[in-house]
Amino acid sequence: MIGAISIQLQISGSSVQTTVRMCYHFSRPKRLPQMRRNWLGCSPTRFKPKNAVPRHYGNIMYDRRVVRGNTYAKHILPTTAQPDPAEIRRQQANRRRAIARKQAREQFRPNTPEALEGRKHTDVQTELYLEELSNIIATMDIECQTDPFLDRPATPLFIPAKSGKDVETQIEEGELFDFDIEVQPVLEVLVGKTIEQSLLEVMEEEELACLKAQQRAFEELRNNELAEVQRLQEMERRHNEEKERRIAQQREVLRKEKEIAEKIAARAYTQQYLAGLLPAVFTSLRRHGYFYNPVEKDIETNFFPWLMDEVNNRVERRYTAREILDSKRH
Amino acid sequence: MAGALTDPTRAPVAFGRRAVPQLFGELLRAGAAARLRALTSLCDLVHEPERLYQAVTGGFLKQLKVLFRDEDPSVRAKTCELLHLLTSHSIGRQAVLASSLLPPLCQLLDDSSFSCRRNVHRVLSRLALLPAGAEALLSLVPKLMLKLTKEEDEEVQLLLLSTLTHCSRLDALPGLASDGVSLLGRKLSHRSSIIRREAAAAMMALSVPMDGKRQVCEDAEVLPVLVGLLRDKDVEVQANAAGVIMNTVIITTGKQRCLDLDVLPVLLGLLSEKHGDDDEEEMKKRRKALIMYVLRALTSLAEAPNGRRLLLEQLPLLEKKAEAAGADQDIRRATQTAIQVITWTP
Repeated sequence: MIGAISIQLQISGSSVQTTVRMCYHFSRPKRLPQMRRNWLGCSPTRFKPKNAVPRHYGNIMYDRRVVRGNTYAKHILPTTAQPDPAEIRRQQANRRRAIARKQAREQFRPNTPEALEGRKHTDVQTELYLEELSNIIATMDIECQTDPFLDRPATPLFIPAKSGKDVETQIEEGELFDFDIEVQPVLEVLVGKTIEQSLLEVMEEEELACLKAQQRAFEELRNNELAEVQRLQEMERRHNEEKERRIAQQREVLRKEKEIAEKIAARAYTQQYLAGLLPAVFTSLRRHGYFYNPVEKDIETNFFPWLMDEVNNRVERRYTAREILDSKRH
Repeated sequence: MAGALTDPTRAPVAFGRRAVPQLFGELLRAGAAARLRALTSLCDLVHEPERLYQAVTGGFLKQLKVLFRDEDPSVRAKTCELLHLLTSHSIGRQAVLASSLLPPLCQLLDDSSFSCRRNVHRVLSRLALLPAGAEALLSLVPKLMLKLTKEEDEEVQLLLLSTLTHCSRLDALPGLASDGVSLLGRKLSHRSSIIRREAAAAMMALSVPMDGKRQVCEDAEVLPVLVGLLRDKDVEVQANAAGVIMNTVIITTGKQRCLDLDVLPVLLGLLSEKHGDDDEEEMKKRRKALIMYVLRALTSLAEAPNGRRLLLEQLPLLEKKAEAAGADQDIRRATQTAIQVITWTP
C-alpha cells in the first residue's frame, strides 16, 4: 500500500506553550496494550507458536494512552467511568474561576505605558539576524512518496558475540551408557512380539492341520461306511428283486400247473363224455327216426296213406252202400 | 507413531482393546491408501483369537460390505484376505454366514483382479468346511462349475474343487445337474497330481447318489481314466480313484463295466503292495484309506458271478491280509466282510 503523506511545516513564533489536556476519561478492562498491526497485516514478530492468539503487545512506555511522569502533581482520574455530577459541577466552577482569574490577571498586568505624543511604539527585532515577520505564514507543500514496499529481508543469522567461558568435555567409552545393556529390553520387546505373532500363526496352522487330518480320517471312514451301506442296500434291493422274481416265477409255475391240471381234467371229462356221446346220439337219432329205411319210409309215407285212403274209400263206399241199403230197407 | 515409521504399509495400531475399533474407524474415514494400510494391520491383528473375537462381535462386518465395492482392487483383495482369516475360527465362520456378506462376496467372483478372485475362493473353500456353510454355498455350485472350466490357475482350481467336494458331500444333486461328471472327468487327466486328487475326491462325492453312479457309468471316458488313475504314483490319487470305483460298482451296470475293464487284478495288486519301511506311520495312515476302498470295491464286485469266480481263486490272499491287518479294526472288518461275500452261496 502506498500512502501519500503530506507534511505541513508550520513556522510559528518562538513561544511554545505546552498544554496539558485534562479532560480525558477512559477506562477499560485491564489488559496489556496491544500494538497495531503493520501495513502488511503481519505482526512484527515472525516466530510465534501457531496456535497463539494473535495479540500484538507493544511497549507500554511508548503508548499514547499511558500517562507518564510524576503523579503527585497530576490530576487524578476518577475510578468510575461516569464522573459525579458534583464533580462535574466542581470542575466547571473551577474552570470558570480559572478563566475569571486569568482575565483578572490580564487586567492587572503591567503593560508598557502608552506612547507619548508624536511617538509610536513599534516592535523591533533585536536579534542578530533579522526575520521577516508577517501574518502570512510561509508554507511549503512538500510531498513525499514512499517507494513501493519491499519485502522485509530475512533477518541475518543472529550470531551473538561470544560470551562466557569456554568449557570442554569428552565422553569416554563406557561412561555414558552401555549399549548392550540398554538395548536389551527394547530387543526383548521386539523379538518377543515377533515371536508371539509367529507362534500364534504357527499354532493356528497346526490346529488347522490337525483339524484337517481329523476331518480327512473321518471322511474316509464315512465314505467307506457309506459305500458299505450302499452296497448292502444294493444287495438288499437285488435280493428283494430276486426274491420277488422268484416268487413271481413260482406263482407263474403254479398257475400254469393248475391250468394244465384243469386242462387235463377237462380233457378226461370231455373224452369220457364224448365217448358215450356218439352211440347216445345215434340212439336218440334212431329213436327220433332220423335213420330210416327209405323203402320202409317210402312205403310208410306214400303207400300206406294211399292204401289207407283207398281202404277208407272202399270202406266208405261199402258203408255208404250199406247206408243206402239200410235206408232202402226201411 | 512408531508404526508409521517402521512399516509404511501398515497403519499404526492402538494399544490393547482400542486396536480393532480404531482400525475399523479409520477404514470408514480414511482415503484409499490409508484404507489399505488399515486393512493390512487388521490382517495382522486378526491372527490372534482375542482380536478376532473383538472384530466379529463388534459388529464391524457391515463395513466390509462397503469395502467390497471399493474401486481399488488391492483393497478388495485385502478385504477378502481379512475375511479368509476371520473364517479360520468357528465364530468367524458363523458370523460371516449370519451376516448377509455372502451375496456381495459372490459377486466378487467375477472380479477383474486375480488376487481378489483367489482370496474369494479361499474364503468360500473355508466356509464350505462347515456344514452350514456348505449348505449356504449349494446355490453357488452351478456357477462354480462354470468357473472350473474357465479358470486356468492351479491354486484357484484346487480351491474350487475342494469347495465343490464339500458341497457335493452335503448334496450332490446340484453338482450332477450342472454336468459335473464330465467336467471332473476332464480334470482327472490333469498334469498336476493335486488337481487329480481333488477331482477324484469330488467325483467320489458326486457318485454317492444313484444318479451319479449311473452318470459315471454312462460317461464312456470316465471309468477307463479312473482305472488308469489306480496305477498313479500318488497314494491319495489312488485312494480317491478307488473310492469312486467303490461307489460305482454298487450298481450292476458299474459292476459289469468295471469287470469288462479288467479292474480286478489292479485292485488286488494294490492290496498287496508293500511300501518301504521308512515313514511307516504316515504311509500306513495314508494307505489305510486306499486299502479300505479297495476292499469295499472287491466286496461289491464279488456279488457279480464272474467277479466271485475270479475272487474265489484269490481267497487265500485275502485271508492272509486279514491276519496281517492285526491291530486295525476297520481293515479287519472289511476283509472279513469281503470274504463272507465271496463265499456266499445262494
